[in-house]
Amino acid sequence: MSEAQGLHTKEFTLNVGPHHPSTHGVCRFVLQMEGEVITSVTPVIGYLHRALEKICENRTYEQIIPITDRFEYCTAMSCNMGFSLATEKLAGLEVPERAEYLRVIMLELNRIASHLIWFGTTSLDLGAITPFLYGFREREDILDMFEMTCGQRLTFNYIRPGGVSKDIPKAFIPVCKKFLDAFSAKVDDYERVLTENPIFIARNKDVGILKPETAIAYSVSGPSLRASGVKYDLRRDDPYSIYDRFDFEIPTRENGDCYDRYIVRIREMRESAKIVRQAIEQIPEGPIRSKVKMNFKPPAGEVYCRVENSRGEMGFYIQSVGEKMPLRVKMRGGSYNQLQVMPVLCVGHKIADLVAIMASMDIIMPDVDR
Amino acid sequence: MKKLVDAIRNLVVGLFTTGKHLGRHAVTLQYPTQKWEMPERSRGIVVLLSDKESGELNCTVCMLCMRACPTGAITIEFEKDEKGKRILKDFIVDNGICCFCGLCEEACNFAAIKMAGKYEFSTEDRETLIWHQDRLQEIGRGVPYEKPVRKKPAAKPAAEPPNAGDGPAAAESAQPEVTAVANPPGDAVITKPGQPAESRPAPEPPARPDENPIEGDDGKSAEDQK
Repeated sequence: MSEAQGLHTKEFTLNVGPHHPSTHGVCRFVLQMEGEVITSVTPVIGYLHRALEKICENRTYEQIIPITDRFEYCTAMSCNMGFSLATEKLAGLEVPERAEYLRVIMLELNRIASHLIWFGTTSLDLGAITPFLYGFREREDILDMFEMTCGQRLTFNYIRPGGVSKDIPKAFIPVCKKFLDAFSAKVDDYERVLTENPIFIARNKDVGILKPETAIAYSVSGPSLRASGVKYDLRRDDPYSIYDRFDFEIPTRENGDCYDRYIVRIREMRESAKIVRQAIEQIPEGPIRSKVKMNFKPPAGEVYCRVENSRGEMGFYIQSVGEKMPLRVKMRGGSYNQLQVMPVLCVGHKIADLVAIMASMDIIMPDVDR
Repeated sequence: MKKLVDAIRNLVVGLFTTGKHLGRHAVTLQYPTQKWEMPERSRGIVVLLSDKESGELNCTVCMLCMRACPTGAITIEFEKDEKGKRILKDFIVDNGICCFCGLCEEACNFAAIKMAGKYEFSTEDRETLIWHQDRLQEIGRGVPYEKPVRKKPAAKPAAEPPNAGDGPAAAESAQPEVTAVANPPGDAVITKPGQPAESRPAPEPPARPDENPIEGDDGKSAEDQK
């Protein structure tokens, strides 16, 4: 601040992005600065707009699934899942038992993979390079499992209306068990590197405090909301699929600062691993997809279905007029609200904290712009 | 003072964790000389499969893959013999707009098209990403696959006819011409048969069968092509 006697600073405008390594995509911020302190933040979005919702209006329900992979590429499984759930509700499709378990296994593995990306990039933004390599090392194992199952590493096209596209290969369960056995120790490693690291704490503690009432007012959801002390998780509060059969905790913290968001996500990885383990033990034999006609025509109507993904509530609204293509598809992603709350969090902090706050909110831009 | 000791201890713990990796072997492969083995189901480029004995293409020109494709990357050209049977003239895949979703492979009832675990096809020119039948067949020769049980295309339709009204029979009546062109949805541009690859198709929409599932009603398509 310009508290020093006789030293006058003038407020100036600083542009960050859109191509900046710390903005995780093409996000642009227009900052008003007073010296090194931020006085206002204006996020500028739209650089990654691909008109995906409009494209969905010209595709059949089957053909939209590969497009939902591109909505949010870090957790593409949950996008597939959200759209499939909405379509099933609209068309009244049944899902076989085995498919439900396969879906949960894939969703939770994908949540871990997404949190590992966040873990790696967050630490990289704060100047630590080792955790980045750790996070991407374990993510590689998960992506290998996905590739073994559905053939792709990011754009899965796996969860479909009425089930899943392919059964898991024989080698999947041993590989997955091996991964889960090793994973707990790996998370311990992550915590040993960062959780009590004095530099990491100095950069994150009491930075970017998100109050619960602000979070609710801005519709922030997911781990960022739970770090503020609001225990809200769709897997527990509005159970979809078969989540009510598993025993898992919903980690919450009180302060809502960057450090708490870090702790919540780390603990969520452990909980997800727990769910995958239970699902692998309980998985029954049987068919993986109910009979679905190609180019099926759901009855006219509208539906909204939501799932909990690693960035919050992911919802799909579909309006059908009884054709083989939807009239309108709207998608709600968690990142948009987390970006909109950034101005509240950043004001009064130094510019270096902008990077820390942005990283801790875990925003990815394709989820904001679509 | 205690804080300082704690801080130093934690830094040392962190360093020790990273230090465990000293002396371990690298897992990196030197790419052009060493390569990972792709999993069996890996979805790489589209290939056309041939019969193992005769070497002929398995494709029966039922056009299901063309209809299933969400981006309109597949174009099938065919002509009819005197009995009305369709004969494949050219099978064109634009790898530039293929999104590797694998829906064409799932739509195929005759094991004629597959996404093989091959990936090295980068070029310097966008036009060379458009592959024709001979190249697709050539690259698909070594790809293992299982022949489906049902073989006869006309005599016995698939157990659950994928789209009753939109089957091959309907396409025949609606498409007496020698060529059928997938309508490119959105702004995707594909080459039209008979035109050189360089010339961008004019806004005039290509001939399209009414039952083509990848296009919306006229209002939507027109809006898309703006």
